[in-house]
Amino acid sequence: MKTTFTNIVISGSSAISAAGTGLVPIQELLRSGGDALSEIPFELLSAEGFRWGKVNGFKASEFMSPMKARKMDRCSQFAVSAAGLALKDAGIDLKQFAPERVGIVLGSGFCGVSNSAEFLSGYFNSGVEGLIPMIFPNTVPNAPASYASIEHGFQGPNATLVQRFCSAESAFMLACRYIEEGRADIMLTGGTDELIPLMITAFAAMGQMKRSSAPFGEGAGIIVLESAEHAARRQAPVKGVVESITSIGMLAAGREDEAFELLTDGVDASSLVTLSGTAADMPAILERISGRPMIDTGRAIGRSLAMGGSSLAILLASLAAGQQGYHLAASPEGPYFAIGVRGGSSVQP
Amino acid sequence: MSGKRVVITGMGMFCGAGKDVTEFTDALCTGRSGIQPLDLFDVSPFVSHIGSQIKEYDPLDYFEPRVARRLSRTDQFGVIAAGQALQDSGAASSYSPYEMGVSMGGGAAGMFQGEIWLKGLLEGKNERPSLLHGILPDQTATDIARIYQLCGYQGTVTTACSSSATAIGWAADLVASGRQKMMLAGGADTLSILTFAGFNSLRVVDPNPCAPFSLGRQGISLGEGAAFVVLEREEDALARGARIYGAVLGYALAGEAHHMTAPDPGGRVAARVMREALLQADVDPARVGWVNAHGTGTPLNDVVESNAMKLVFGERVPQVPLVSTKAMTGHCLGAAGAIEAVATIIALNRGIIPQTLNFRGRDPECDLEYCHAGSRLSDCRVAMSNSFAFGGNITSMVLSL
Repeated sequence: MKTTFTNIVISGSSAISAAGTGLVPIQELLRSGGDALSEIPFELLSAEGFRWGKVNGFKASEFMSPMKARKMDRCSQFAVSAAGLALKDAGIDLKQFAPERVGIVLGSGFCGVSNSAEFLSGYFNSGVEGLIPMIFPNTVPNAPASYASIEHGFQGPNATLVQRFCSAESAFMLACRYIEEGRADIMLTGGTDELIPLMITAFAAMGQMKRSSAPFGEGAGIIVLESAEHAARRQAPVKGVVESITSIGMLAAGREDEAFELLTDGVDASSLVTLSGTAADMPAILERISGRPMIDTGRAIGRSLAMGGSSLAILLASLAAGQQGYHLAASPEGPYFAIGVRGGSSVQP
Repeated sequence: MSGKRVVITGMGMFCGAGKDVTEFTDALCTGRSGIQPLDLFDVSPFVSHIGSQIKEYDPLDYFEPRVARRLSRTDQFGVIAAGQALQDSGAASSYSPYEMGVSMGGGAAGMFQGEIWLKGLLEGKNERPSLLHGILPDQTATDIARIYQLCGYQGTVTTACSSSATAIGWAADLVASGRQKMMLAGGADTLSILTFAGFNSLRVVDPNPCAPFSLGRQGISLGEGAAFVVLEREEDALARGARIYGAVLGYALAGEAHHMTAPDPGGRVAARVMREALLQADVDPARVGWVNAHGTGTPLNDVVESNAMKLVFGERVPQVPLVSTKAMTGHCLGAAGAIEAVATIIALNRGIIPQTLNFRGRDPECDLEYCHAGSRLSDCRVAMSNSFAFGGNITSMVLSL
């Protein structure tokens, strides 16, 4: 399924990652070949040599009042903070727009899992006396998008999706559709995810912790989409143009090539390719983009189910005006996404 | 939602009120509720001991042992209901794998199994890691796609109680816009300690079977299940001689941006979403015969939804019953929107407006027609289905014959 667009621009972006706040720290790591990964504490795995992309320096209180921060789970703190940064990057003052014309569709990784575990642990350890009601609302994966809408005040389309390592791309596709349909003028999209010690324990139990595989990460990457007309009316900075989205749910037996041809149709015209999820582990993808400059963001900040937002933001930040870029995301069992973009200039064309 | 008319050519249902569409239809028409004492896990510490659990369920009645072990309870329900819908439709043989996709709503997903693993970890036991296999809601869609070879779009909406309504709306749009030829759309969810303890801790669970819109209602009754519909373009369905149950005419959604758990008391955003859904569907409000409410039975939610109805239908509101099928199915969370969409289509086909069960008395703040006295005959061809969720997510869908 390939969809082309002519009317959707990207006017802002942001990221919170193991590298720090914003895109610049990630870009610097990618340029230098370094990474922001740190050692997983020995006691979690009873082994050394495992790393993760843990966001260590983030202080939610720098983005919201401590009281508000205490109410939110970590994923929501990332999402609310990154959404504010992305809106600022886009030069959007939400007071100037009808709240119902601004929406959000986020990809969720393991959002809600840590609060679910904490809530249940209280019950398993102490029975009903151990239940903390305040935690329960934050066990839902849509808490980050909801808190973002509450804190920033947008009342347009609001959804959360999760689909393996392509959760952010799934959200991006739906957000583009809401702009295309005219349901909203501005859509925030991307993904948010968190990484907690219990998840490392669980990954290890499931045999997913391998020194040879890319480390897991956490954080948020948010992109601001607008209809081209809306961006032009407010003379917004155009950082990129969305040209196409291709989505394949899974590979049909005997027809795998058909899927990969469709997914990589557009790579040839691209100056840069970003890889997200497990795309960098897939020979069928790597063969087809061989020789192209490519960025595997996960290498620098760790992989997560919803890292596509950060990866796309890096792609856009790396393209010169008019240059075409391509974003490929994959999950071991599917789905697969390809997003074609064109770099914009920092001023209205 | 623009594009071609999208029709429903297959339906699947697996929930406490019925393990297939035939059983469920009988329950809907006769007012038989699936809410009864729970025995899936120990509920004795809680105020409520009831819910709509799928009783007498043995996975081996549906799956080979090897397959059953790999699927969480939610995944199993989803695969069963999806299989029913696909078999009913017969559409899968008409399209290539990449032309068919799955869009579903998830909720607690494999938490029921995950809880066993977590409890074991806390007690120092080594439970089998495969209990975590379905911990995220996307696993069900992955399993359904793999088992039924739906290789096109694959996505899971996770907006709590509005998940599967949004998933159906999005799927219908994918078909209407020509991006996919066929979409399997719905939702699946199961009872779990997390949600049962959670809603009990918030004191929004009624110890008796929930009584939506009634005086003295105390909250929800939880439920579990799965429901799916097969969506195709009308012209494609007609060309292959498919049976058409109805159509998804349009949907709308929004975030209230008000509070994580409490709805905006005035119901203004809910009313706007309902109006937008009608606009998307190109349906005049005067054509709407009734509304399948979110209707949880919580004191505040039922008043808010009644207020929203007044804003949408104005003077005509007494002629538009607002009914809740949750008193029959329990609140199935991530699957609720899909179960209620299927219930709505069945009722439209049967020419009835279903009863809202468990009337306890008239609440002066819920002063609309709720069909508390019993189901009624109706020749209306259009109905709406509302879904509200934690986080202020609201989805409204317009369905028709």
